[in-house]
Amino acid sequence: MGTSYIYKRDASRLFIALRDNGKRYKIYIPKESEPVINGEEYDIDFVEQEDFHYSFDWKGKRFHCELVSRDQNKAVVKVNGVEYKFSLESLFSYIRHGMIGKDDKSIDENNITSPMPGKIVDIFLAEGDLVNEGEPILSLEAMKMQNEITATCNGVIRKIHVVQGQSVMKDDLMVEVTSIDV
Amino acid sequence: MKKRLLIANRSEIAIRIIRSAHKLGMLAVVFQSDKEPDALYLKYADEIIPARDATTEKPIFLDAERIVNLALEHNIDLIHPGYGFLSENPDFAALCTENGINFIGPSATLIREMGLKTVAKSMAIEAGLPLVPGSDGAINDAEAAKVYAEKIGYPVLLKASAGGGGRGMRIVEKPETIERHFKSASDEALAAFDNGDMFIEKYLQNPKHIEFQILGDKHGNVIHLGERECSLQRKHQKLLEEAPSASLTPEMRKDMGDMAVRFAKKIGYFSAGTIEYILDEDGSFYFMEMNTRIQVEHPITEMVSGVDLVDWQIRIALGEVLTLKQEDIKLNGWAIECRVNTEDPQNRFSPQTGFIDKIHFPHSNDIRIESGVQSGSVVTPYFDSMIAKIIVHGSSRQETIEKTLAALYEFSLIGLKTTVPFCRAVLQHPEFVDATYTTRWVDQVYSPEMLENEDDEMIGALAATIMYASEYLQLSSDLPSYKNDSLNVWVLNKRLNY
Repeated sequence: MGTSYIYKRDASRLFIALRDNGKRYKIYIPKESEPVINGEEYDIDFVEQEDFHYSFDWKGKRFHCELVSRDQNKAVVKVNGVEYKFSLESLFSYIRHGMIGKDDKSIDENNITSPMPGKIVDIFLAEGDLVNEGEPILSLEAMKMQNEITATCNGVIRKIHVVQGQSVMKDDLMVEVTSIDV
Repeated sequence: MKKRLLIANRSEIAIRIIRSAHKLGMLAVVFQSDKEPDALYLKYADEIIPARDATTEKPIFLDAERIVNLALEHNIDLIHPGYGFLSENPDFAALCTENGINFIGPSATLIREMGLKTVAKSMAIEAGLPLVPGSDGAINDAEAAKVYAEKIGYPVLLKASAGGGGRGMRIVEKPETIERHFKSASDEALAAFDNGDMFIEKYLQNPKHIEFQILGDKHGNVIHLGERECSLQRKHQKLLEEAPSASLTPEMRKDMGDMAVRFAKKIGYFSAGTIEYILDEDGSFYFMEMNTRIQVEHPITEMVSGVDLVDWQIRIALGEVLTLKQEDIKLNGWAIECRVNTEDPQNRFSPQTGFIDKIHFPHSNDIRIESGVQSGSVVTPYFDSMIAKIIVHGSSRQETIEKTLAALYEFSLIGLKTTVPFCRAVLQHPEFVDATYTTRWVDQVYSPEMLENEDDEMIGALAATIMYASEYLQLSSDLPSYKNDSLNVWVLNKRLNY
C-alpha cells in the first residue's frame, strides 16, 4: 500500500487521559513506533524508568515524571516538579461510559454503507480494530471492478455486518465505526 | 596546632563554612543534632559533637549557653554562627567573647545596635544615608501612629522595632484600620521578640530590595562588593536573587556603595555585612537596615566579584588586614541564585516534609550548587525548608537567565515538591525578564497556573497513560529493570510482547 497509518490495529493500546481542567489526550502506545497523541506522532524518547518515576527526552529537554498518587483510574503525576491530575480510561471503557459516540448522528456518519450493489471480496480489519481515516476496511466488487472502501474517520471498528463472499445491495450497512476524533 | 573552628549551624551553610575552614588549614567541628542525626553536613566535618537535644524543643543551634559550654569542653578557638539561629544574637556573640572564643562576626555591640532598627536608623542619619520618611523613634500608641500617618500620607507601614521575617509588620491603607493593625502588630512583636515597640514609615508601592555586600576588617578598612537584588520575596523571605541589579545605573551603584562603606566605617564595622536599601520606582533609595551576618545569597556576590566572603570573615576574625582595595573589586558578568525550598508552589508554599528519594543537580562550570541534602535525606519539620541553592553565572543578564532556566530543567527531586518550578516561572516572566519586578511580585502577579505548561502537561498525560497501560496490558509483572539510554518504551513494549 505504501501509506503508513499512525493507528495500528490494536485498539487496546489506545487510552484517554482527561485532565482536571477538562483537557483530553488520546494516547496510543504502539508496540514499535512512537506514541501517538491526539492523532499526531511525537518524537519522544523514554530514557529512564524506575518504580514510579519516568524520564522522557523531547525537544532537547528532559522531563522528569513521578507518579504521586493513584486511586483506581485517577492519577496525579508530577512533571518537572509540577503536579497534574488525570483520569484514565481505556478506549473501550471510554466508549462504554458513553463519552465517545454519544451523538447517534456522528455514529451514523461514520458507519460504512455499500455505495453500490456488489460482492464483498475481502475484509481487511476485524471488530475491535483501530482504523485510520482513509484506510481500506474492505474490498467490494461491483461491475467487475474491485473498490476499496475506506474509513471516513479515525475510529474503532465496532461491528462488521458482512462476511467475505456476501452480496450486498446499495445502502446496506456493512461496518459500524465509532470515531475517536471527537 | 590547627585551629579548631566550630560551626553553630547546619545544612548547606555548615558545609560551605567547612570548605573555608579547610582552605585556611583549620579543623571543622560541627554539632550533631538529634533532630537530624544523619544530616549531610556531618560527613564533611573533621569532628562531630553530639548535641543530645532530643528531649528539648530547642535545637542545639539556638541554645547559646550549651553551645559555648560544649565549645569550651572541645577546645574550640572560633565559632562561626552561619545565618539564622544565633547569628545576629548579640548575647551569643558576647558569651563567646567572654569565654575567650573568637566569634566570627562583628562585635556584640555592633550586632545589638544594628538589631535595634531605631538605633541603626539614627546611626544611618548620622552617616548621611537617606531614610524612608517616618517616625524617628518608637511610637507608643495607635493615636501617635495616626498622627504620623497623616503627616507622611497613606499607605503606611507599621514595623516592630525588634522585628524580622515579617513578624510585627502591617501595611495600613487607610486611617480607619490603623488602630486595629497597630495593636495586633505590637502584640505579635511582644510575643515574638519580647519587645512591643513599633515604628511607622511611608509605604512604597512598587519597591525593589537592593542590598550591598560589604567587608570590613578590625583596622578600619571597609570595601563594598557591589549589590544584590532580592526583590523576589514571599512574606519577606527571599526566593531568588541576582547580582548585580539591572535597576541601578553606574552612578546609583557608586552612590549607594559609597554610602554603605561610609556607614560601615562610621560605626566601626568589621566582618562581612549587608546594607539593605529600598529602591523606589523614581530611582530614589533609602537605607533599610544592616545585616551583620553572612547571608544566604552571598554566593552570587562571590560569583561576580571572585571574592570568597566566608574566607574573609574568618581571616578578619583572626585580625588579618583586609588587603583588598575598593579599586581591586571588578564585577564580572551576572549571577542568579535560586533557592530550593521544600515548599509547594502550587499550594500556597506549604512546607513539605519527608524523604528525598532521589535528587539530581545540574552540573557545569558556570553552576555552583550549595546543598545540605542528598538522595535519601529526610526533610524534618524542625528546621527551615531551604535544602539547597542553585547558583548560576553568565556573562550577561540574559545569558544567565537562560543558563539558569536550563539548569533548573536539569534539576530533579523525587519525593517532595520544591520551589524550583516557581523559580522557572519567575525566570520566564516578562516582569523578571525586563527587570521591573518588585517585592510585591509574588503577592500581586504570581499565580500557580504560571507553573504549568503545555509540554509538561502532555508528557504528564503520556506518563500517566504508560503507568496505567502497563497494568492494563498486564505488563507490569515482568517489566525489566531498565537503564539503557538507547532503549525506549516503544521498543520495550515490543520486547515484552514477543
